[in-house]
Amino acid sequence: MKALHIALKDLRMRLRDRNTLVMMLLLPVGMTAIIGFAFGGESGISTVEFLLVAPEEGGFLVDAAAGFLSQHELFDVERASEEEARRAVADGERSAAVMIPEGLVDSFLSGTPAEVRVLRDPASSIKAGIIQSMVEQVVSSVSAGSALGRGVFETLDKDEPLSDSEQLALWGWMFMWMRDAWTEPPVSLDTADADTVDFDVHAYFAPGFAVLFLLFTMLTSAKTIHEERESGTYGRLMAAPLSETSIIAGKMLGSYVLAALQILTLIALGSLFFGIEWGSHPGATVVMALVTAAGATSLAMLIAAAARTGRQTDNVGTAFILVMSLLGGSMWPIEQAPEAFQRFGRFTFNYWAHGGFKKLIFDDAGLAGITQEIAIISAMSAVFVVLAVLLLARRRA
Amino acid sequence: MSVEPIIRVRNLVKRYGELVAVDAVSFEVAKGEIFGLLGPNGAGKTTIISILSCITSPTSGSASISGIDVVTDSLTARSRIGVVPQEIALYATLSARENLMFWGRMYGLRDRTLARRVDELLDVVQLSDRASNRIDTFSGGMKRRINIAAGLLHRPDVLFLDEPTVGIDPSTRRSILDLVKKLNTEGLTVLYTTHYLEEAEFLCDRVGIVDKGKMIAVGTRDELTESIGATGVIEVRADGLDDAVVDWLASLPEISQAARSDDGLTLNVVRGANLLPTVVDRLTSSGVDIHSVDVTVPNLESVFLHLTGKRLDEENDENNRRD
Ligand SMILES: Nc1ncnc2c1ncn2[C@@H]1O[C@H](COP(=O)(O)OP(=O)(O)OP(=O)(O)O)[C@@H](O)[C@H]1O
Ligand SMILES: [Mg+2]
Repeated sequence: MKALHIALKDLRMRLRDRNTLVMMLLLPVGMTAIIGFAFGGESGISTVEFLLVAPEEGGFLVDAAAGFLSQHELFDVERASEEEARRAVADGERSAAVMIPEGLVDSFLSGTPAEVRVLRDPASSIKAGIIQSMVEQVVSSVSAGSALGRGVFETLDKDEPLSDSEQLALWGWMFMWMRDAWTEPPVSLDTADADTVDFDVHAYFAPGFAVLFLLFTMLTSAKTIHEERESGTYGRLMAAPLSETSIIAGKMLGSYVLAALQILTLIALGSLFFGIEWGSHPGATVVMALVTAAGATSLAMLIAAAARTGRQTDNVGTAFILVMSLLGGSMWPIEQAPEAFQRFGRFTFNYWAHGGFKKLIFDDAGLAGITQEIAIISAMSAVFVVLAVLLLARRRA
Repeated sequence: MSVEPIIRVRNLVKRYGELVAVDAVSFEVAKGEIFGLLGPNGAGKTTIISILSCITSPTSGSASISGIDVVTDSLTARSRIGVVPQEIALYATLSARENLMFWGRMYGLRDRTLARRVDELLDVVQLSDRASNRIDTFSGGMKRRINIAAGLLHRPDVLFLDEPTVGIDPSTRRSILDLVKKLNTEGLTVLYTTHYLEEAEFLCDRVGIVDKGKMIAVGTRDELTESIGATGVIEVRADGLDDAVVDWLASLPEISQAARSDDGLTLNVVRGANLLPTVVDRLTSSGVDIHSVDVTVPNLESVFLHLTGKRLDEENDENNRRD
């Protein structure tokens, strides 16, 4: 009961503070809007135009690749010279140009390295990113095909050298097979391009910034433990007839309610300002929001418990949150990072929190689809809370 | 004292690593008394109060309030004590009433009882008209008064006041001292810490003098001043004093202590009515420029000087400079 009053007192103080409100709502909404502008209204991409720079005599391999790249209605491909392509990309007329070198087929047959280049317009990074990921797919399957082919040839060559016509026939057969595989993949990956077709910048970044600023709000909340120590109100609470557990519980409860209010409001504002659809399972979205709030509250509480002063909480906490947000992809598309980097990201709360929302928004996942995120964040929260309480108890001399 | 003392402290020790902040302190306070803890900065006054109010645990020794041990039964003990911390322990962005309502709830008050008690105390500290203003819009003295009110909400048996007049103007200070006196006449037992000896003399029935963690003397003002055996005090304000002349004065059989302060000299006089001319002669002949000489009866300052060889305000000044 007394814990509840401590929570209410904290809430009242925090909501009365204009800085808190700015940090809670204005900054994340503002950042999302700015990012939206930065990506130049690329939300709701309908077509991706790009130029293909390829030798006229590129042969069947280039045709196959070009065919593959243009098969999807999303893509609008035109051939161009290298010079034209460079100019068009530099002027922002096209998002990207794909440049296939001379002699690609020879390199392919002999296994010598060849370089397919993607020229990107930095102002149009999402479209360019989509093209790049498509090209990467083609290149990696071509490389795989080349390696496989050469392996087969070597084995056959050992017993009885193959004649030129036999070689050509074999290659031809393999390419038929590969092209079929491209058009109708036998193993369909959870294709990134399916998502990017209706990529919505706001919907991608809004949850990321929400998580980031949720952590900041919670940090200033958790910091009040130190502020109360420094101002003497903590001592006064200790002198009143209630247990220290109630004090800490009250402070955590107040923080948590604030966190829940913030994230739910940000979700509502996201729909209102940016038309974000947070999936079609409102129950799952609310659960995800509440679990995320718990994660942020407990993490911030742990940071404050580990710090000696309010100032240290601020400094260490801010650095910590920024690093975690970078690693966990709260501020940029972590999907484009190398796998090794993403693996680091998985250690962060941000990764899972943002990830859960992305699943709700882009995969239209229900509660069942985000059980992993919910389980991991809940486990993290439990660990953080236990550590925080242990540290706070130890501090009491 | 035949009745059970309301505060009983036995051999209290508090160590912070090497530092002994409270060193085997024992004292008792009877119901209805105002007991003063007088000592310079860093003497250990706040630490003693913190232990009594269950904020800090003692390294050893025991303390009880109305027979309730503050360590083993701290929850009950805390409900009997009102605490007014040395700093303004209030929420600056909440109003005076919001603060008092909150602190009342922490002591288990609710609803009508709480609201009525808050109004009552706002009246007592004469801030009813400012009740809905935020604490950070208050003057230092007003904050101090709300700080005191917050310790009185639950009608405690005993009130701990830790230097409640630090940093405020003389008239507000006076009104706080009067408030404490008034509360005391209504039956409240008060434990009051200060480093101003005038406050201790004006307010307290009995005084404990604390220095470097030790309780070096306890008693009423008269008991303490008589205990040093001095019959008078000579206060000299002068320039050009040197150690040689002070040492010479201290060696006189009629003088028990001589101590220099920033602007002069204090002498505890044991006997000898005709000492003054000797002192003045000696000072002028060694080139000291005397501004004024006062002869008074011994006070708590003389007691502190007698016990420690230092002046209380000199100690405070030194520590304040260090802060
Ligand atoms: N938490 C702590 N950790 C370490 N040392 C402490 C702590 N609290 C107090 N001390 C030390 O204990 C000694 C007594 O401090 P205390 O605050 O009790 O003095 P005080 O008499 O209240 O002084 P003041 O008049 O300045 O308030 C000081 O030397 C102080 O530095
Ligand atoms: Mg103190």
